[in-house]
Parts: sequence; structure tokens; C-alpha cells
Amino acid sequence: MSFGLVLKELDERASERGGVHVATMTIVVFFDDASIGDLARDRIHTLAAKHPSRVILFDGTQSDALHHVEGEDWIELGARGSNAEVLRGALNALRMPDAPVILLWIASGVGDDDRFCELSRDARTVVYNSSLVDAGNAALRQLVEYVGRHPELPIADIAYLRLAPWQESVAILFDGEESSELLDVTRVEIACGSDPEALYLLGWLASRLDWKPASEDVLAAPSGKQIAFAIRREGEPRRIARVALTATHSSFVAEIDSRGETINLSVSGSRAKPPRLRAINNPGVAALVERAILTSHNDRVFQASLAAAGAILAFGTPSP
Amino acid sequence: MPSRPNRVLEEVAANPLRAGLPEEGITSPCSAVFFGASGDLFKRMLLPAVYSMHLRGILPTAFALVGFARTPYDDAAFREYCRKQLDLFMPQDKKPQGALWEDFAKRISYVTADFSDKRHFIALKERLAQNDAAFGTAGNHLFYLATPPPVFPEIIKHLKEAGLEKDANGWTRIVVEKPFGTDLESARKLQAAIEAVFPENEIYRIDHYLGKEPVQDIIALRFANTIFEPIWNRNYVQNIQITSAESLGVEDRGGYYDSAGALRDMIQNHVINLLALVAMEAPISSHADDIRNEKYKVLSAIQPPAHSDVWSLSARGQYGPGTIDGAPVIGYRQEHDVAPDSNTETFAAVKLFVESWRWAGVPFYLRSGKRLPRKVSEIAVTFKPIPHRFYGEATDRIEPNVLVIKIEPDEGISMRFEAKVPGPKEHIRSVFMDFNYGTGFGVVSPPAYERLIADAIQGDQTLFTRWDAVERAWEIVTPILEVWQHTKDFTFPNYAAGSQGPQSAQQLFPDWRRL
Repeated sequence: MSFGLVLKELDERASERGGVHVATMTIVVFFDDASIGDLARDRIHTLAAKHPSRVILFDGTQSDALHHVEGEDWIELGARGSNAEVLRGALNALRMPDAPVILLWIASGVGDDDRFCELSRDARTVVYNSSLVDAGNAALRQLVEYVGRHPELPIADIAYLRLAPWQESVAILFDGEESSELLDVTRVEIACGSDPEALYLLGWLASRLDWKPASEDVLAAPSGKQIAFAIRREGEPRRIARVALTATHSSFVAEIDSRGETINLSVSGSRAKPPRLRAINNPGVAALVERAILTSHNDRVFQASLAAAGAILAFGTPSP
Repeated sequence: MPSRPNRVLEEVAANPLRAGLPEEGITSPCSAVFFGASGDLFKRMLLPAVYSMHLRGILPTAFALVGFARTPYDDAAFREYCRKQLDLFMPQDKKPQGALWEDFAKRISYVTADFSDKRHFIALKERLAQNDAAFGTAGNHLFYLATPPPVFPEIIKHLKEAGLEKDANGWTRIVVEKPFGTDLESARKLQAAIEAVFPENEIYRIDHYLGKEPVQDIIALRFANTIFEPIWNRNYVQNIQITSAESLGVEDRGGYYDSAGALRDMIQNHVINLLALVAMEAPISSHADDIRNEKYKVLSAIQPPAHSDVWSLSARGQYGPGTIDGAPVIGYRQEHDVAPDSNTETFAAVKLFVESWRWAGVPFYLRSGKRLPRKVSEIAVTFKPIPHRFYGEATDRIEPNVLVIKIEPDEGISMRFEAKVPGPKEHIRSVFMDFNYGTGFGVVSPPAYERLIADAIQGDQTLFTRWDAVERAWEIVTPILEVWQHTKDFTFPNYAAGSQGPQSAQQLFPDWRRL
């Protein structure tokens, strides 16, 4: 991989614009699956349009002899066969000197990939997606292990970030007097099209309520009360379909409507309420990455949810 | 930036699932009552703002909207009216449709009312009780006064008589649209009417200008950076200019405007609020009262001009026929509903001093006007000249540094500084370092009303004006109003539409930034 030509092209384009530069960060993207290359480009274009950035896109499917420069801030480099040091060298040569680096790792294998370790070293935020490759929990397990070994890593997971409307919706169910029912929950059921989102949601509940795993399908509250849980594979990948918390005398359900536009909230039993509805506002990947950039490097709720999800996984795989 | 009030923290404490969640959604259930719901403000600004909040998932799920106005509607007809207005005023991708509209629509109801008839307020009370039962709005009531101001006292009186000023189970808040009074005396009367019923912490005096993102960013610029604060004082600042100019005329507001004028309409509220933000000391926290205390301190340090000084500290103008964007436009006195011999100013400029340790001797120049060459709102901080010209007198003129906070239309910040022109000669000229929000963030700021309505429901008063500040702003402009009102200006109209304003403004301050 040679950056000399790339640097020359960048200089020429910068001088064409009188040296004026508006980029406020460097976004580094790594992907190694040709089928998601165009999608990744599209999303990063959206993000870079909103937050003017220098984009360095390492394409693990292309020969490292290839490069392509668009404008003065969009650089694509073939990275097939490039080792970690080469990628880091390219990043150091091409990044905006004073702007923060955001790494979007769109590949599996965070745990055993030196390239990930090298590229993430200087990143202010690392954005990962544990439900990108498949619907199972392998990628999430890898992330749990890696973060366990590198707790200082400023990482965000798209799979967690896309839960925001569901966290808000479940929280709404327990606003006001209903909050006392949280002490009385006996069962949690989550239906989702892929495991990481479901595990994160369960991990989030467990971390907020101080529930600890007691077996592969039971959590224990600090009082000793046991909470059975079940994760069911249902609906589209990466989308929650239903969350139900059952207490002794009431049930609290947040459920997506048939058109996928709203989350319907219902409470039955002694705390019964008229049904309510919230716009789901599923943010696109670009918006989630933006949220990661703006907020996640110190998101303690995410860190606690990830740790709790890891503890649940450590007891075995919850059966979908 | 303004943080949520303690009440929200209490909710978080009660519901452990809320800890650490993004504070985007409003947690407090609420029935919002819009007085004047058949009027222009409601259909163009307030209803679209509330519906947009619903689409964004910001409104509480336990929410209801009640229209209260003279035009006769039943609930179904008012829902249809709302749907039509949203069809007109919402962007294409947010038109009312589907389950979200149906959920919103079922929460809309209407009370046909004569504001002077107590029975209609009792009907409103019954409707709110129904909402509490049907939608779980928990006795929390937001009363939004979107009627013409003369009706405010009557509404407030009847709210009390109907027992709506407080609810045993929930909170009550009242949002009062500007203008808050037409002069100091009427503002005090209005305040007396309101405070007889509502305590200050339930009164939300809205000035939508304060909900604009760049206005809020003044605080961030000043107090989230270290480089500006050390030079933000009399030692470095030569003067501060605050401009709110429009190229529009009075449009269809001639009747209102002819009884108001630029000083009342813009300077007393918007522009003086900007002055307070730019001149205040650092608040000790982002809580509403800490910020509002500092703003009030600034205003209390401004000495209202003596009557005898008004002409040397102010300038007024009225536009005549002229040209805007190449098209001829009529003069103010030819506008609809404007008296043909009107003495109302469409341009006002004022020179004020903040008599504090920080700002002693630094003039603040404020101006606002209609039918000026372009729409622009900005704050320009002009710094003192360099103390010593080592290039010598023979070199080019060295301009002072100017920091411009652009509020609209191109939101951003611009810094003018001097640089050497490349070449063997020692030529110096001004260059600009620009930050533009659209380029820097690429985001469209949410409309001011969405932010302000959300804050009112959340109980965050930071962006609302406290009575002491309103009263002080009136005290500052009152001598000018009095002198102007009692002195017919025979030179009116004294500036052509599309010009830089009247000559008297140039006499007040020859270095206004060019519009």
C-alpha cells in the first residue's frame, strides 16, 4: 500500500479549493465483506454530509495496490492482505492532524484481529455492530471478551444503540406509581429477530435493577426473588418485536405494531391502563453512528448493560 | 446547556430504568390547553410543533390537547380542522396519517368558548378531568395563552374562578406569549393579574427567539471555551452591536404594529435578551434560576436613559417607499391598517451602557428595523485597536478584530482578523475565519417552539423570561418610549425601504455594520 499518490491527489484537490477545509473529524472504516461495501459507503456518505469529515475507507475485499480519492476528503484504499502496521501507517499519514478519529469496524473478529487493535488504538470512539454478520450471539461474546481485556476501549455497539426507543418505551411503563412493580417482576420475555439486541435489552434491565444471573434462564434480584427470562427469535433481524414484564398482579408489554411504525404499550391486571402508543423512530445506521460519536465514549449504562449481557451469556446461551 | 430540573431527577430516582437514558422524551403526563386555538399562531406554529413532537416520540404517551376558542367546533370538527392545518403546515414526510395521526387525533378535543363566560371555563375543567381519566394526564395542566394579549387577564381570572389555577393531583403551568404588556405600566398590571393566580415558578413567559439554537449557543461559545472569556470585557472590547433587521414590512400586522413599533416589538424583548446573554457573568450552574439571575444582573446594571438624554442615545425611523431585492415596495404609511400620518417607528436604535466592573465604558448599540436591505440577526463584538503599530503609519489601515455571532439567516460565528498580504510589501488586510452551523454540523435545528413547549411541559424555565427581567427591560426602554411618543417626528418617513436606515442612526453611531 502506497500513500504517496493519495497524498499528492489530496494536496492537489485542497489547493483547488484554496486550502479551505471544513472536516472536523476523521472517520476510518474497515470492512471485509463485498456485499456490505456499497451499503457502508452509502451510510458513511450520509454521516459525512452531516458531520464534515475526512473518510478513510479500508476495503478488505480489494487489493492493497488500489486506491481511489473523491474530493479532498474521501479516500478508499484496498486493504486485502494489509497487515495491522500498514493500516496504522496509512491512518497516521492520511488522518486530519487535529481532528478526532472515529473507527467504524464493519467486520467480525474484534477479539483476534490485530488490525482492529491497531486501528482502535488512537480512536476517540470505536463503533462496532455485533448483530451485523449474523443473528446469533458470537460477535457479542467476542465483544464482551475484548472489552473485558480492554476496559478503557471507548467502544459503542450499534446493536445496543438501536434499542433507545425500546428502553424509553419500557421505562415509560414504569413511570410514576408503577415503578414499585419493578420489585415484583417474576418473568421477562423478549422477542427479537437477532440475539444481540435481545441480550442487550435484558442486560440493560438486569443492570438497572441489579439482577444477577442465577442459571441460564433465571435472574435473581437483590431480595433473592427469582426472575425467569426467555428470549425468542421472532421478526426481522436487528429489530425487537416485543418486550413483556410480568409482575405478580400486572403485566407490562411493549410491542411493535404490524406496520413497524409504533410501539404499543399496554398494562393489564391490577395496574391496567388505557393502551398507549409511541412513534418508534427507528434511526438509520448513520444516525446511530452519530449518536455513538456524540455520546457513547462515556456511556456507563451501555458499559453496565454489556457487562450484564456478558454475565448472562457466561451461564450459557439463552435458548432462542 | 440548560439541564433538566430536579423534578426529572426525582422521577429518575423513582424509576430506576430512567437512569442514564437520553433525556429526549418527556416523562410528565400532561393536558395542554391552547387558548386561541382557532387563531393564526396555533395553526401555523403551535399545532405543527406539538404534532412534530408526537412524531419524534418526544411527547408524553399520556398527553391530551384541548383547543379553547370562540370559533364554534365540536371535537370531531376541531380534529378535522387540525388535520387540515397540519396538512398545510407540516412538511411532506410529516403529514397527518396512519396510526400515529389517529392516536394524536383521539387526544384532541375542543371547548367553544366566550373568554368572558365563566361557564366555559367550568366546561374546560370537566374536559380536563375527562382527559385525566381517559388518557392518564394525571392532573397536569399546561395553559397556553395564544390569544391577543388584551384577553390574558380575563382568561386568568376565569381560570381561578373555575378552580383551574391548581390541581390537587398535578401541576399547573401557564405559558404567556409575547408581548408582555405594551409598556411598563401595562406589563405590571398584567403581571399583577397573573401573579394573583399563579406563582412565578408556574409562569412561562415565552419569547420564541430564546428557543433558537444559535441564541442558546451564545452561552456555549462563552462558557464552553477558554479563549473568549479573558478578553470579554472593557479592557479588550471597543463596542458591541446587536442587530435584528428584517427586509419584510409589516405584512398583515399593520394594526398591531402601528400601536407597537420597533422598540416595543423587538428591542424591549428579543434584542435586550441577547444583550443579557452576551454580557452576563458565568452562571454557577446551568439551572434556570442561576442563568436567569445572571441575566437579570446585567439588566439591572443598565441605567435607563434620562429623558433629556434620549435624543443623544437613540434614533428612530420610519420607512418610506423604496426597493427590496430589486422590487419596488410601498412605504409604511401606505400599509394596510396603518394610519396615513403614523408616528410609529419601524426602526429603532439605542445606545446603552452596562455599568459593571466588566463592561464599564463599553457602549452596547442595539438596532432593529423593518424594510432594511436584508434579514439579519447578529451580535458583533468589536475589539479595541492594537496598541502600537510597528508597521508604521504609512502602512494600510489596520482594522479591529470583530467576532460576529450570526443568529440568522446563516447561523454561525465569524472572526475578522488582520493578515499580511503575500508579497515583499508590508500590506495588511482583513480576512475572516468562519464557522457555519450548517457546514460544521450539517443539521437542521428543531423549531424554537418545539424546544420551548417541551421545556414548559418538563418544567424547565431556563429559556423563559422571568418577571424581574421583563420589568427591567421595560424600565430601560420606558424613557425612550415616553419621549418618542410625545414628540411627533415630522421627518417621517425618514429612510427608504431597502436602505441602511435613517441618517439619525448614523449620527448615533457611524460604525454600524453594513446590512
